[in-house]
Amino acid sequence: MVDAHPSHEPVAPALVEVSGLSLPAAITHLPRPDPYLNVEDYEPEADAMALNMGPQHPSTHGVLRLKLFLDGEICFKAVPYVGYLHRGVEKLLENRTAIQSVPYVDKNDYVSPLTGELALVMAYEALLDVEPPPRAQVLRTILMELQRIASHHLWLGTFCLDMGGALGGGSSVFLYNFRERELILDLLEALTGQRMHYNALMVGGNRHDVPPGWEEKVLATMDRVEDRLAEYEAMTVDNHIFRSRTVGVGVLDPLLALEAGAGGANLRASGVDHDLRRDAPYAAYGQVDVRIPVETAGDCYARFLVRIAEMREAIRIVRLLVSGIPEGPIGALKPPRHVNAVKLPPGEVYVGIESPRGELGTYLISDGSPIPVRVKIRPPSLHAVSLLPYLCVGATVSDIVVILGSLDPILGEVDR
Amino acid sequence: MAVDETSRTFVHPLYGWLEKIPGLSVGLTTADAVLSWGLEHSLWVFPMATSCCGIEFMATMTSRFDMDQFGTFTRPTPRQCDVMVVAGTITVKMAPRVKRLWDMMPEPRWCVAMGSCAISGDFYRNLYAVVPGVDTFIPVDVYVPGCPPAPDHVHAGMHVLMEKIRQVRKGTFRPNADPAAREGLLRPSIPRIGDPDRDPALSRAQAEAAFRMDPGCQVTPRSEDERDVP
Repeated sequence: MVDAHPSHEPVAPALVEVSGLSLPAAITHLPRPDPYLNVEDYEPEADAMALNMGPQHPSTHGVLRLKLFLDGEICFKAVPYVGYLHRGVEKLLENRTAIQSVPYVDKNDYVSPLTGELALVMAYEALLDVEPPPRAQVLRTILMELQRIASHHLWLGTFCLDMGGALGGGSSVFLYNFRERELILDLLEALTGQRMHYNALMVGGNRHDVPPGWEEKVLATMDRVEDRLAEYEAMTVDNHIFRSRTVGVGVLDPLLALEAGAGGANLRASGVDHDLRRDAPYAAYGQVDVRIPVETAGDCYARFLVRIAEMREAIRIVRLLVSGIPEGPIGALKPPRHVNAVKLPPGEVYVGIESPRGELGTYLISDGSPIPVRVKIRPPSLHAVSLLPYLCVGATVSDIVVILGSLDPILGEVDR
Repeated sequence: MAVDETSRTFVHPLYGWLEKIPGLSVGLTTADAVLSWGLEHSLWVFPMATSCCGIEFMATMTSRFDMDQFGTFTRPTPRQCDVMVVAGTITVKMAPRVKRLWDMMPEPRWCVAMGSCAISGDFYRNLYAVVPGVDTFIPVDVYVPGCPPAPDHVHAGMHVLMEKIRQVRKGTFRPNADPAAREGLLRPSIPRIGDPDRDPALSRAQAEAAFRMDPGCQVTPRSEDERDVP
């Protein structure tokens, strides 16, 4: 057994006060590398070389390109290049009405499309001052948490796959996780008819009502997913190889995380207790007491622990809500007869929600026509990628793969 | 190839090839048929996965859908692969990389365009940054439509590719002779919003509204009575 990292021990870590926040002292004010280091000025100890990783690389989680400058096997400068999946979504949304826009944001964060839909739809609802009925709000919350479980399943599978043969043949955890992800997708497919790009939400409510017997299916699936989650923990949490690959690797300073705008598990693993589901409740999150897991070590292992705890919490929220879905309509508005039928009032609005990767925001400006003048999407993954020049310095190439996997960026969302 | 007939318990397709002589059966075939059989049942796939379809392609490889049962297997390097599955949107920035990876693959090689974006660019096709279909710069053998195609559809597409490999090696590949045989082999013509050669059955009002939404066109001001055209 590898010695536990000091801050993984059950004793409460020392805290330091920084501008009103209590942050873990062990990882706050860490020395920061210079991301704009001039390579010519660096004097390597071993052979220096530049290594290009991506855009087609199985461990870059999409089409991210990383240019690594190596001193022997240690990286001394890392430059991420993005834009290989730029699909101009913001520009397209500025030429679409609300009801036409939802399929586009599905494809942004393709691992959790429903959160992308909710961020856009809630922005339009705030602009139009529409309140969805309670049934739609509870259904949306259930969908978001199901999506969070599915997204974290995919993350855990690919994260363990990135570590190669570390976990009994490499792809076993990956295959197990996809097995459970399929169960969640079955539920969503029964509701919406699609496996991936659901197009399930619309302004003022949901598009699909619950099919008969769906609630029992959800409860049965949650039982099964929770059982299997214990299996993954048995395979990973105390696994010697898993811990030696993740404990103490990629330690993220909470101040750096806050400055870079990181969110989600990346932020909470560094000891910052922030979650929009609890701090600014939307949909039906006000009805449930959302418990936010926080770790204080800031390394890849802490991020892993936070995501596992989030899955358990999501299962709890789904169980709480699914047994008491209120009766009533699922939409506040009639579906528009024509795409241009709904005029937006002039004004601007920002809405942020907690996606599995952090704060996903939509900013709309309208001048009174059916289509918005400006749409800005704030993707949490872009801010996670912006941490790479800091976290990769001093790490080996094999650690960089683990660090990148633990940040969980989705490149469709980064490039938009 | 000699097979003992006494242990025969079920009719295997192989028995269609057997010639019976007293005491045993002899399988007679051409070397070409054996090579073709080997090729089509050991397709190693290079997943050119850029976006959403890549996730569905990963799901196709996992336990429930289990592409391995057909000998289809992913390798992360183009040097070892027979088939490139282009799964996802190809942008102008990514297209030269896709072409370079395709050029690295050894002959014989095939290409499967998975999903609407790889087929035609889908609803990003009029955008400045997106290539309208991967067949604009590499030859595509099989088109698998969908957004994204379900894993079952990817299976069907790989079977169309196997059939094509078999027919091409036998010299019987004539997709233009029989319309039913063209399923999946030709670029599907899907009427889509903003496309000038779309289905003429759509009403004129809808066509005008759609064209107004086209990012390539200028947005024209709308009058009040035009707003609620059914």
